[in-house]
Amino acid sequence: MTIMETPPRDEVVVVMETPSAKRGSDITRRAGGWALAYLGALAVFGAFMAVKGVNPFTAYRAMFESTLLDASSLSEVLIKAAPFLLAALAVAIPARGGLVNLGGEGQIVMGGVAAAGVALVFEGQMSSGLVMVAMLLGAVIAGALWAALAGVLRVAAGINEAISTLLLNYIAIDVLLYLISGPWKDRAGFGQLASKPLADETRLPTIGSDGRIHLGIFIAIGAAIGIWFLLRSTTWGFQLRVAGGNGEAARRAGLPVAKLLLSGLVVGGAMAGLAGAVHFAGVEGQLRPGMTFGFGYIGFLASWLAGHHPIRIAGAALLLGAIAVGGDSLQIDSGLPAASVNILMAFVLFAVLGKNPRLAGASR
Amino acid sequence: MIAAQTATEVGGQLLIVSVMVGAIRSGTSIFYAALGETISERAGVINVGTEGAMLAGALSAYAVTAETGNPWFGVVGAAVVGGALALLHAYLVIARGANQLANGLVIMFLGLGLTSLFGASYVSREINGFKPIAIPGLSSIPAVGDILFNHDPLTYLSFALGPAVWFLLFRTRWGLLLRGAGERATVLSSYGYSPEATRYIAVGMGGLLAGIGGAQLSTAVALTWFENMTQGRGFIAVALVIFASWHPLWAMGGAYLFGAALALGPELQVRNVGVNQFVLDALPYVMTLVVLIVLAKRSFQRAPEGLAEVFDAPPVS
Repeated sequence: MTIMETPPRDEVVVVMETPSAKRGSDITRRAGGWALAYLGALAVFGAFMAVKGVNPFTAYRAMFESTLLDASSLSEVLIKAAPFLLAALAVAIPARGGLVNLGGEGQIVMGGVAAAGVALVFEGQMSSGLVMVAMLLGAVIAGALWAALAGVLRVAAGINEAISTLLLNYIAIDVLLYLISGPWKDRAGFGQLASKPLADETRLPTIGSDGRIHLGIFIAIGAAIGIWFLLRSTTWGFQLRVAGGNGEAARRAGLPVAKLLLSGLVVGGAMAGLAGAVHFAGVEGQLRPGMTFGFGYIGFLASWLAGHHPIRIAGAALLLGAIAVGGDSLQIDSGLPAASVNILMAFVLFAVLGKNPRLAGASR
Repeated sequence: MIAAQTATEVGGQLLIVSVMVGAIRSGTSIFYAALGETISERAGVINVGTEGAMLAGALSAYAVTAETGNPWFGVVGAAVVGGALALLHAYLVIARGANQLANGLVIMFLGLGLTSLFGASYVSREINGFKPIAIPGLSSIPAVGDILFNHDPLTYLSFALGPAVWFLLFRTRWGLLLRGAGERATVLSSYGYSPEATRYIAVGMGGLLAGIGGAQLSTAVALTWFENMTQGRGFIAVALVIFASWHPLWAMGGAYLFGAALALGPELQVRNVGVNQFVLDALPYVMTLVVLIVLAKRSFQRAPEGLAEVFDAPPVS
């Protein structure tokens, strides 16, 4: 299969395996390696498009023009990137303590569910500003609690959090589906599974002429900066790292290891919950099946792409957001299914994940 | 169509029998994938991309069956494509040091993208897929005949594969080597065997079986193709392997348990018992969590040691 022999990736190895090279030329070489990796991903996906009878050059040009040279798609990129960014923070924070949060998907859903629940109860009872604050708070708490379930299982019963968070994803999705097919079903919804739409004044406020850049984007950016500071400059951030590194040593030094690990997952879950609320109250306005499908997993990959660094994560989220919007262009301009853009995303990620010279040879 | 029914019996079938028939019918694709994942994880490689391999298998089988008219060619195609995706995973994690969990997710997205691109033209195609074959004699045993002996050929094959994989893993020299690669790779290499090569084979076999699982779903159960049709079955299979403590026969039971939960809702609805399908859908996951809590540490002690490395990630700076 052609995927097995993407030439650019070999180039990356050559670049990475010369540690003795001078620093200046090392950086140029590394940048060259990255560029080749991305070009390789574009080439592989281009080949697939060509197989389907679509001229890759025309398709890429349309994708580039309608994604990055058009104001409304640029706002679309930001709108897509905001929940990816928050979902990636949900991975990066526990990763600081050596924990693997595969449960962003479910924590996002629970965040969206909580925001919708708050709106159902309080809409019309309080000022819309207060409802909004309550929605975001509710989502933060719901995401945190959903992650805390996995955290408690980990520290109390020794159940691996990667497994439990993965299982909790499906339970969360079933909770959402149960609610919108039963108690929260929109009676005016023409038989479709969805909750009652938010009132216009309870949707997150927007700026700009097209009215689509919403408050959630700024919340996500603020969260990234806040988490960066928390991890970098607070005792908590430091202790979390120590607790995750050598639990026994940390315990002897008097650190509350269990609490620290739990707190890592809880803060991460809170970020994912926020992602759910931001997407619900900023974009969708109602709960529907699959509304955040893949966000948690894309967040997981964005965090890996950025080496779990909160500020670099913002860049990774933007890149993945742009790729996702590029999928819409594929559908509109080139007549290919939007989801086929996942091929391009996959090869970009392979290029990045598969350049781990330190661990090459080991199976991890 | 349905006129007079009692609450427990439809078409002469007891609820329990219908559910057990449905359990095997919808559990088999999950079983194939879980069996493959068991082999892969026993060799020390977790492949969350099983979902992608299943999807790719489902489409390959459907497309090849549509083009050739023979579902067996479809199964071969599914096995090849599923195996190829898994080998890509193996290459990236073994030779290139990619993180197993992250890379598995990428494989899932790749499967989703590939099947979306190449599947669009098969969405409304019809195929002549696998049909249930009643085993003469055995199928007329009351209840048991319906449950076990009136299935598609891939289901019969899976009945044999469970014990076969058990035998392979625990009673053959090669199985010992494979488990050695997952437990103590260094010992394997000091005896002159290559743990890497063993892992490639195990992961490839895993993808091959996941592909066949996808084939069973599209060409024997659903008889249709639509985007993302596996709907998380591959992830279920990954969870199931842990539920089953990395044992092929337990995986079989676990897969049918999931299948039963999937089958219970529609069967109850036919009998006019109102139960929310999604509550039932959540049951297997809740059950898995409960089982993990009960077994807790014991279960994880049975995990191949090589896997522990993947789960116990070092903190990042």
